[in-house]
Amino acid sequence: MTLWSDRLAALRLVAGAAIMSAVWCGLLPRLLSFAPVARHVRLMEERGVDPAAMYYTELERLPLPPPWLADRVVLWP
Amino acid sequence: MKAVRQRIFGLHEDLAAVVIGLGIVLLALAVTWQARPASDAGSRERHPKGWPTPLAATVGTPGAWAEAPLDAFRDKQGNLGVGPIALGMGWMVAIVVAGAALGRRSVRACLPGAILLAGLACLAYVLSGQKVIKYYNLEYPLWALAVGLFVGNAVGVPRWLAPALAGEFLIKTGLVIFGAEVLVSRLLALGLPGLMTAWIVTPVVLVATYLFGVHVMRIPSRALCMTLSADMSVCGVSAAIATGAACRAKKEELSLAIGLSLFFTVIMMVAMPPVIRWMGLDPILGGAWIGGTIDATGAVVAAGESLGKQAGEVAATVKMIQNSMIGLIAFAVAVYWAGWVERDPAGPRGTLAGEAWRRFPRFILGFLAASLVCSWLHALGPEQALWVDGATTGFTVKLRGWLFCTGFVCMGLQTSFRELAPYLASGRPVVLYLAGQTLNLVLTLAVASLTFGWLFQKAVEP
Repeated sequence: MTLWSDRLAALRLVAGAAIMSAVWCGLLPRLLSFAPVARHVRLMEERGVDPAAMYYTELERLPLPPPWLADRVVLWP
Repeated sequence: MKAVRQRIFGLHEDLAAVVIGLGIVLLALAVTWQARPASDAGSRERHPKGWPTPLAATVGTPGAWAEAPLDAFRDKQGNLGVGPIALGMGWMVAIVVAGAALGRRSVRACLPGAILLAGLACLAYVLSGQKVIKYYNLEYPLWALAVGLFVGNAVGVPRWLAPALAGEFLIKTGLVIFGAEVLVSRLLALGLPGLMTAWIVTPVVLVATYLFGVHVMRIPSRALCMTLSADMSVCGVSAAIATGAACRAKKEELSLAIGLSLFFTVIMMVAMPPVIRWMGLDPILGGAWIGGTIDATGAVVAAGESLGKQAGEVAATVKMIQNSMIGLIAFAVAVYWAGWVERDPAGPRGTLAGEAWRRFPRFILGFLAASLVCSWLHALGPEQALWVDGATTGFTVKLRGWLFCTGFVCMGLQTSFRELAPYLASGRPVVLYLAGQTLNLVLTLAVASLTFGWLFQKAVEP
């Protein structure tokens, strides 16, 4: 019984690894050549944007108060 | 001697997280100060992300890759090198071992498991680095949870791995280190319009969504309602981690909140820019709307930049203001939970403050201490600001990334699909998220229109 469950676990692990490899090494790289995806990735790379940043400190450039804003903000129109 | 050993060792998990977390922040500040630049130390143009720190070479994470996963281990020059990544894993293993030692658990029993956890965290980083995944904001916590869930449910957790499964400790330590990045001065970065957009809307949406979930939708878990409300109204995964820890959310509740947040973030990141163009909104107003509503920081910048440079700047800065509210919100949630939600009416009567203090999660104090000290240093002058920025962006950001990533692998390993199923089957968390996000969208647009479009009209005039 233990041997059987061990084999089943190993089989699940191998199947999972195979699916993961197929998606990450086959499907996703192909998706990169799909025009809208390719355009989005190119735009982000050109502008140095990391959309996976979880917090502002992970961004390529730290967001600083835009210098142009101070001249254009008034308290009342 | 035995009594001394007893006092030093056997620390509560929270205190161990505070000791290790604050120790790492102090180490980062000290080493960065020692290596301060000899000239132009106060120049932001020269050091856009702060002073370079020698500690940066001791921690790295796998990078982006397109077709071959091995490319994740290449440096910026294209050379294959696993040094900084292996050292990052080494830091993680050392912290697990230090936590075990401070908690009087067997270091030897922890070590093999900690090494495997570091390997699984590395796998999660590699999966999240594929360019389609990365540039559509499916962040590493999702893949860390997925890797842990898969291994835990398909194969099971081997007995020798169990002593190293310290997910909560790793996340709490990561949060204390994260405190160094939560700078109070950032709250004022956009002046009054940014402050109004972030400060009026965020607390209103947070409280309204939480009350809606508890009293109208009658979701049994208040912690789930709070974690979902915070990750939707403040700033996604990082807010979910901080508030989830402050209100002691279960691991499956935190997993669900993070999964929902990332799923809707991808949709909003893709959909909002065309909607803003279709509505004919001014890009600055659109940027403020994006910054106040999309959960994840990176996705905010991505969506804002697709409206233009200025919109991207406003979006990123509004989100940064919201980011900076995490400290106050996590503290407020911890006080509310300890003082009201977890109060036992039938229990012994004491003062409210006394009872709240007894239940208060101590690691939040470490998080606040790191935040307040670094905020104070950052406000002292341009040199000190670059010192703090260098210590955090060069070192602590990556280290706490490893801690969060490994913490989520642990959570995945300890979560059964059967425990997650009832949350998913009821569908109520999804409805709560959608209801809260709808309120967030309407309210943020109204306040951003008022501040950027009317009260501060010049901001949107050429």
